Amino acid sequence: MVKVKVENLTKIFGKKNQTALKMVEEHRSKTDILKKTGATVGVYDVNFDINDGEIFVIMGLSGSGKSTLIRLINRLIEPTSGHIYIDGEDISKMTKEELREVRRHKMSMVFQNFGLFPHRTILENTELGLELRGVSKEERVKKAEQALKNSGLISFKDQYPTQLSGGMQQRVGLARALANDPEILLMDEAFSALDPLIRREMQDELLDLQTSVQKTIIFITHDLNEALRIGDRIALMKDGQIMQIGTGEDILTNPANDYVREFVEDVDRSKVLTAENIMVPALTTNIDVDGPAVALNKMRNEEVSLLMALNKKRHLKGIITAEKAIQARKEKLPLTEVVEPEIVSVSRDTLVGDIFEIIYDSPTPIAVVDGSRLLGVIIRGSVIEALASGSNNNDEEVLKNA
Amino acid sequence: MQKLPVADWIESLTEWMTQAFAGFFSFLQNSGQGLMDGITQLLLLVPPIVMIVGLTLIAFFISKEKLSLPIFTGLGLLFILNQNLWNDLISTFTLVLISSLVSIILGVPLGILMAKNDKAQSIITPILDFMQTMPGFVYLIPAVAFFGIGMVPGVFASVIFALPPTVRFTNLGIRQVPKELVEASDSFGGTGWQKLFKLELPLAKNTMLAGINQTTMLALSMVVTASMIGAPGLGRGVLSALQRAQVGNGFVNGVALVILAIIIDRFIQYINKPKKTATKKKSLTIEQKKKRGLLITLAVVLVAIFGVTSLLNKEKGKEEINLAYVEWDTEVASTNVIGEVLREAGYKVTLTPLDNSIMWQSIANGETDAMVAGWLPNTHEAYIKKYQDKVDPLGVNLKGAKIGLVVPTYMDVDSIEDLDQEAQQKITGIEPGAGTVNLANETVKTYPNLKDWTVETSSSGAMTVALGQAIKKQEPIVITGWSPHWMFAKYDLKYLKDPKETMGTEENIETFARKGLKEDQPEAYKILKNFEWEQKDIESVMLDVSNGEDAQAAAKKWIDANRKTVDSWKSK
Repeated sequence: MVKVKVENLTKIFGKKNQTALKMVEEHRSKTDILKKTGATVGVYDVNFDINDGEIFVIMGLSGSGKSTLIRLINRLIEPTSGHIYIDGEDISKMTKEELREVRRHKMSMVFQNFGLFPHRTILENTELGLELRGVSKEERVKKAEQALKNSGLISFKDQYPTQLSGGMQQRVGLARALANDPEILLMDEAFSALDPLIRREMQDELLDLQTSVQKTIIFITHDLNEALRIGDRIALMKDGQIMQIGTGEDILTNPANDYVREFVEDVDRSKVLTAENIMVPALTTNIDVDGPAVALNKMRNEEVSLLMALNKKRHLKGIITAEKAIQARKEKLPLTEVVEPEIVSVSRDTLVGDIFEIIYDSPTPIAVVDGSRLLGVIIRGSVIEALASGSNNNDEEVLKNA
Repeated sequence: MQKLPVADWIESLTEWMTQAFAGFFSFLQNSGQGLMDGITQLLLLVPPIVMIVGLTLIAFFISKEKLSLPIFTGLGLLFILNQNLWNDLISTFTLVLISSLVSIILGVPLGILMAKNDKAQSIITPILDFMQTMPGFVYLIPAVAFFGIGMVPGVFASVIFALPPTVRFTNLGIRQVPKELVEASDSFGGTGWQKLFKLELPLAKNTMLAGINQTTMLALSMVVTASMIGAPGLGRGVLSALQRAQVGNGFVNGVALVILAIIIDRFIQYINKPKKTATKKKSLTIEQKKKRGLLITLAVVLVAIFGVTSLLNKEKGKEEINLAYVEWDTEVASTNVIGEVLREAGYKVTLTPLDNSIMWQSIANGETDAMVAGWLPNTHEAYIKKYQDKVDPLGVNLKGAKIGLVVPTYMDVDSIEDLDQEAQQKITGIEPGAGTVNLANETVKTYPNLKDWTVETSSSGAMTVALGQAIKKQEPIVITGWSPHWMFAKYDLKYLKDPKETMGTEENIETFARKGLKEDQPEAYKILKNFEWEQKDIESVMLDVSNGEDAQAAAKKWIDANRKTVDSWKSK
């Protein structure tokens, strides 16, 4: 079921539009057109369909025309030529009033820098779409409060945007878009202004949300990892043209042309994971100070059955298992007596590919060390997660690079 | 290369506009005057002390309980009250208030238009540049042509002069709203109006207030200039001090203006201070909104009532006499005396100091009722030619006035023909529009020995100061002099002989009234017609005034001393 259909969409900035448009029809290159007419082509003869309920990611570097494209879809920028069909209706032919109705009811947008009105409270921001639509005060407050409850921000409803962190502000931006209950969400680099941790959190939230609300989402990003994480299908843009449309798998395994291949490989090379990338903080006990009771207490609290043993200087000495600790408590021995010194350790810059083989045989977590200092540990789960997360889902590549 | 008759074109355009929109202009003039009189009277109803205390308290609250502003406000206003400038202050404030309001009402929509439309911006910007760089005086000329004299032309000129900052800053403020927010408003399907009221104006508010603040300051400075065309208030004091060279008076009026300016400026700035983001938004309850609405309605109704009553008064006009005069010492003396006499006869008399040409114009078009300052046959020859069909001559009120070039007796020239290289070949004149200056210009053209001479214009006051300085240093000086004048009593001066008689012969000062005064105010008309006195009378009043006595007091003194003469004017 096609929700959005884009046909021969072109946007030319500058004067001499008609000449430039002819040249686009003749498939002349962007640089030629710029030389000849002085007009810049922002979006160059783009065609694609978006299905109902899918997350369609448009990806590309800065200046590739992706932001222009999303604005053409809700006509914040007027197209030079081409058609955009939503549920079979051509947006590009609509009058101002018809377009306003579509914007009010069918499409909502989320912005890179949140686009919150600084002079309005969070609640007033969230109800903006409904207010512009002319919904009664009571009803719009109810809906906005529901949207804020869903994103866990209801307690901030009387605050102003400047009093919230970036992540919270973007949640408000999303809540504002959802309060409108649109069929299509346009997200313009929605998470690019957030720090990486929050960003990942927001991506997960969006995916969770999508399972419950089933909107058609058009998502713009310049980050391949983000695209791979959330996109059902990905369109890769360059110079206003779409290079390739497909699933993440398609794009990684069958790049349509050299540009896509380079784009993907480039990401691969830069993103080759090392032990340090996938380790988790270690649970430790200081065997020079702690006794067995303390160690057991820690294990109980953390719900694990072994701890990394460190000495006073925080050097790695081995492992304390639960059995050994119980034995030590019974026999009144210090922990130093029951440390098992055999432990597999790797240096911080070991490649994931190598760890893959080691961890397969090791019953205990692998310690990541810098000299003899412990940095963290690697457990099986973290390897699998790192490989599955899309940042490097081609293990043959990984092994080759190793 | 022929000179383009640009001045003539402008002249005829103004002439045409005055004719074509006469009804509209006079409606504006009457209703505007009524409204402003209403506001002024309303403000004057409040006892000054009460108002000072009130404003000080407001200052205390808006300045977050810092003490500097309230102390300044309180002391400053008390000083103005102490100097008897309260009424002037209120008049000035009314003018500034109306000018600023009109500027905002016109300027904000213009600014919005500019922000929304690039073409409008490219058209309006050069016009604004033109408006701001044109000297303020220029606006006074069409203002008088359209609205005559008084408060309304003052507002008109102030608005033109003060409008640009509001327009510019509104435009700037709206254009500075982040693009993303504008996109947000559009993407949710906001209309242009919704965007304007929900996003752009609230965000542009601070920038707009900065512009409005500048507008108020410009309006204030223009109100001072506008006192030349009859705008009442503190400006008049400054202007008359300038024309009569009274440093002290000028300073006191100036300081009063400074105090007013600072108070207005600070009040607006405190309104403009961004509030700390409150965690709870203060919203007015329905009760408070109702109260507020009621108060505003009450104020509007009161102003309207006053406006209407003062309009009705104007309509009836039984009790009011408007006298125009020029700020020359002779005229100050004579106008104050006749004004005082009319007051005794039960009239409400307003004395309006104007520039010479505007005084004539205001009589000719019935703006003012009468003046006792027509110097004929020579000095005001140009004006009587222009307006003789439109004014009603009531005859001579002082015989044997004289105009001429005057020098200190220590200079060894006796006739205009003897002048050669003296006084850097300059004649020190008075106001550019004055009759003596026109005659002096004629004289310079006529006498061959004055070929390289120029007439330097300034003001009556400045001229007497220059004369005093020159005499102190025993330097040569040639001035455009006239008698009666106190300077002949104070210094040793002599008229230069005038064989070609270009500076005129002996002259008389005559009284002129507007057409129709005879029918409207027969009694006042009679008094004005009978008003006649002698050189020694006027000079005694003039000397008192030049020695620092208040003109009205000096006039009273003379009237008390000359009861018989005064009674004869009333009873004839």
